[in-house]
Amino acid sequence: MSSATMTSDLSSEMEVDAFRRLFPLRFHERHLQESIRPDARPLGKARDTSVALGAVASADGSALAKIGCTTMLAAIKMEVMTPTTESADEGCIAIDFHMPPICSPIVRPGRPAEAAPVISKHSGMINLKELSLVSGKAAWMAYLDIYCLDADGALFDAALLSAVAAFSHLQIPVVSLNDDGRVVVVSNEEGEKLEKEPVNKERRKLKLSSIPFSLTCVLHKNYILADPTAEEESVMETLLTVVLDSSFQLVSLYKPGGPVLAHTSVIQDSVALTRQRLKELQKILNEAVSDMEVD
Amino acid sequence: MAGKSGATPTTYSPSPTTQNKKRPPIFNDVDWVRPDGRGFHQCRPAFLRTGAVNSASGSAYAEFGNTKVIVSVFGPRESKKAMMYSDIGRLNCNVSYTTFATPVRGQGSDHKEFSSILHKALEGGIILDSFPKTTVDVFALVLESGGGDLPVVISCASLALADAGIMMYDLIASVSVSCLGKNLVIDPISEEESYQDGSLMITCMPSRNEVTQLTVTGEWSTPKIHEAMELCLDACSKLGKIMRSCLKEAASPVQE
Repeated sequence: MSSATMTSDLSSEMEVDAFRRLFPLRFHERHLQESIRPDARPLGKARDTSVALGAVASADGSALAKIGCTTMLAAIKMEVMTPTTESADEGCIAIDFHMPPICSPIVRPGRPAEAAPVISKHSGMINLKELSLVSGKAAWMAYLDIYCLDADGALFDAALLSAVAAFSHLQIPVVSLNDDGRVVVVSNEEGEKLEKEPVNKERRKLKLSSIPFSLTCVLHKNYILADPTAEEESVMETLLTVVLDSSFQLVSLYKPGGPVLAHTSVIQDSVALTRQRLKELQKILNEAVSDMEVD
Repeated sequence: MAGKSGATPTTYSPSPTTQNKKRPPIFNDVDWVRPDGRGFHQCRPAFLRTGAVNSASGSAYAEFGNTKVIVSVFGPRESKKAMMYSDIGRLNCNVSYTTFATPVRGQGSDHKEFSSILHKALEGGIILDSFPKTTVDVFALVLESGGGDLPVVISCASLALADAGIMMYDLIASVSVSCLGKNLVIDPISEEESYQDGSLMITCMPSRNEVTQLTVTGEWSTPKIHEAMELCLDACSKLGKIMRSCLKEAASPVQE
């Protein structure tokens, strides 16, 4: 305790920036006592969020999501595969998360990113049967790649948001079977009649049911900080990520250890915060989608 | 050809492959229109912004047509432990592509050759004496490849270095020219690059009138090389002005 009082004495004389670097935990705790955070947010408030669809022209569906400074770029490329015999009329989704060295000073090339969050497959959002082309012969494989362009905390939230947005932007291309039995894209410019009926007649969008949204919180003592920055994540180590779907049902709850043990009430509070956040995110995503349709 | 069921099913892209296609005869003529409607000696519109990545010391985003590149600069920071003592600073460059950068999905791996070219292009322009014993890391990620990737990466990297406050003799601008039959086309797109007979890339410091790198590949005649160099140097000085104004723009609101 004596050291704590000593640091507070020191702090009055020290410059704010130096205090922040030398005693990061004290710095943050003094903010928390006033129910405010270093970036002037209240504890339960997330940073400004934006979504832009169609950021990559070379992909079939793409989106750029920003939560504060954290930036994620997700793009989907559609390829054709032969489905397995067990699920002859289903397509497949392959998800990769990348932390290129540009996004953070901690990541260096050649080394795998330590903080790489795992984007699990969110069952229920996409009906894999919609990705089928010819039952048992051909189906779509959707390669979803998410790149972190700027890492500033709450990586999972941004990655999930960009992934969901990329799927809502995805347009499945028009394809037909050629003579070799391969599936080829039918380009719009070729006005001539096709010998074979296209397998997939029109550019279509996937039907997304029960879209998942997430909120990551940092737990410290009795405080719950929604949508932490990278600095907050590094100072206060206990993270809790809640994923809810659009009908407010719990999809996943992730607390990877940490020094703070969460009471039931803390988890309930976090879920309540996620509910509020879900409404915000839904509105942002819907606006982005309707903006695209106007264009 | 698609593989039978396995742990990871083999997939193929349904988009038509351009590799096997013959060069359209149009490129052999003297008069033709470029696929994007530009004149032969007209560069793509350039969009440049600094400060794209907040967690980096300096960064820049460049968009030339469909080519989109982001470059982050970290440091000067401690060199790796294994490195020997050095009086002058070190420069470490890395260029990588996203998996969706090219029309057919790639592996998204590092591009070793481009990394070393970028290193050589920048080395001459940076005052390495100004940060002894330390390393400056320049990381580039090509978000989308639309042709002329390397010149865009180099120009964007020098802008990011300037944004990071690394001392340089001058901004480094880079432009390439493709030789297509009888014509020279500046700042080629992917389609033009795939049919080219030869290419020439100049990296220079426009206000000092010094060339840091010159790469020539393919078939060239001496007068053609002269013409192409003139074209490139002229375009570099114009690009240098755009880069300069971009830096000024980023700095001006802070002063107010």
